[in-house]
Amino acid sequence: MSSQAAEPDTVRSLDDLDVIVDTDFHLTERQADIFPYLEDPFYSLLNSQGEGDDYGYLGRVYPAHGMVYSVTVGKADSPTVRTSEDVQKGKDLIEWDKAIATPTQNLYLAAVHHDDLAAALARAYNKWLLDNIVDTDEGVYGALVVAPQKPIKAAELVDDFADESGIAAVMIPSGSVHPPLGNEDYYPLYEACERAGLPIKMHNAAGTMMTRFPTQWQSLNRALPVHVTSHNMMHQVNLADMLTQGVPVRFPDLDFVIQEAGLGWYPYFMRRFDHDYMGAKFDAPMLEKEPSEYLRDQFYVTSQPVEGADDPEYLNSIVRLFEGENSLMFSSDYPHFDFDYTDALMKILRSEFDGDEIKNIYGETAEDVYRF
Amino acid sequence: MAANDESQSTGTADNLHHVTSVDDVDDGERVVVDVEGREIALFHSNGEFHALSNYCTHQGGPACEGLLTGTIDVDEDDELVWACDDEIVSCPWHGWEFDITTGEHLASDKYRLPTYDVRVIDGELYVEF
Ligand code: FES
Repeated sequence: MSSQAAEPDTVRSLDDLDVIVDTDFHLTERQADIFPYLEDPFYSLLNSQGEGDDYGYLGRVYPAHGMVYSVTVGKADSPTVRTSEDVQKGKDLIEWDKAIATPTQNLYLAAVHHDDLAAALARAYNKWLLDNIVDTDEGVYGALVVAPQKPIKAAELVDDFADESGIAAVMIPSGSVHPPLGNEDYYPLYEACERAGLPIKMHNAAGTMMTRFPTQWQSLNRALPVHVTSHNMMHQVNLADMLTQGVPVRFPDLDFVIQEAGLGWYPYFMRRFDHDYMGAKFDAPMLEKEPSEYLRDQFYVTSQPVEGADDPEYLNSIVRLFEGENSLMFSSDYPHFDFDYTDALMKILRSEFDGDEIKNIYGETAEDVYRF
Repeated sequence: MAANDESQSTGTADNLHHVTSVDDVDDGERVVVDVEGREIALFHSNGEFHALSNYCTHQGGPACEGLLTGTIDVDEDDELVWACDDEIVSCPWHGWEFDITTGEHLASDKYRLPTYDVRVIDGELYVEF
């Protein structure tokens, strides 16, 4: 390409972008920020003890996992974002034109074991957000946070605040919501969002997501959501723990086979685990190589059910992405209702994988893995 | 790389770049300097000097300005132990950890911070490139 040929549609740098929107720009709100906005009875009940530590004692009402992680041990900075000056610093670094501010501590709101306090905290957070952070001249927008424990109060909150300038969305702290968000309990909230013309953001917090997993399973009241999610979620939980504890390092001659969970989550999981591991070697000190390498070396996947079989481009790329030519093994799941006939998968993979690779997937790999 | 005594420098005046005096960097301290357009961090740690690029191989953060600490490792019995005290710098942006003695990233050998030889000449510190 000639160097002076102007190519208006190519993007070489941020400068070539017309607008940059950061749709999840986090604030790091603390007790001291929220307290002045808390309504009674909680203001009077709680406000007597002062600020406490950085998070304040309110931090104790938000459950979390064992947070020995890069930020909490000081290996990574997590800048404080509690004022518009702080927001400006983030804007200068990330170079966004617009951002939607979302909380940090209140990502855990759905796990607070006091429903009325949770609803009061949501209201206080939003007042603080509007008073101190939202600034449309600077492109700073906000997402209204609601407490899913109290859907009616959440709907009232949306009605009360939706018309405030700079509110771009409603955010449900979705980690550990119980019942899950399909339940009719939430319909008043959804109606309020619809009335207000605001989209709903769902944002989990890692520390809360699993706190109600078993009971969430109980309240998924149909088969479909269970079947779609539970296989791969359970595998992800087990694999993540096995890798972190060094199981494949301790048992280097052992192979593991993952069955009946679909395929697309697997290359995702490999990359997500590697991504997190890059800043937290100290949290998985047994590992001698990147987590995905253990998966490629010692873990195998059986094929059925194969999602996206009507989309060969998708399926072929997914299988390539986890090097399925070495680790995918055909399975039919016959006689279950969703079984795969023998050549259904082959018909697709044949356009991408050569004969040797197909042979691997259809048997050679199994010959190696299993003791026949 | 570390050069911790008065090395017989193979460097010429051209490739030695003065950083500061030895006395200005106590053990446990570091300086970040701009040398001919390169941001270089010079650490004095456990009696040795180490110089590394301050440009993180992840997303360009100021890698050498983060926490200088150690890391958790496992011993022969798989017990967790503290290791490499004051030899691991963590980039303040996302916490990627680098060994300041080699520039190597702890979690992957795909990434490494460039390192520079350090020369001590007449009580003055120089990096070589
Ligand atoms: S830029 Fe250094 S860890 Fe991301």
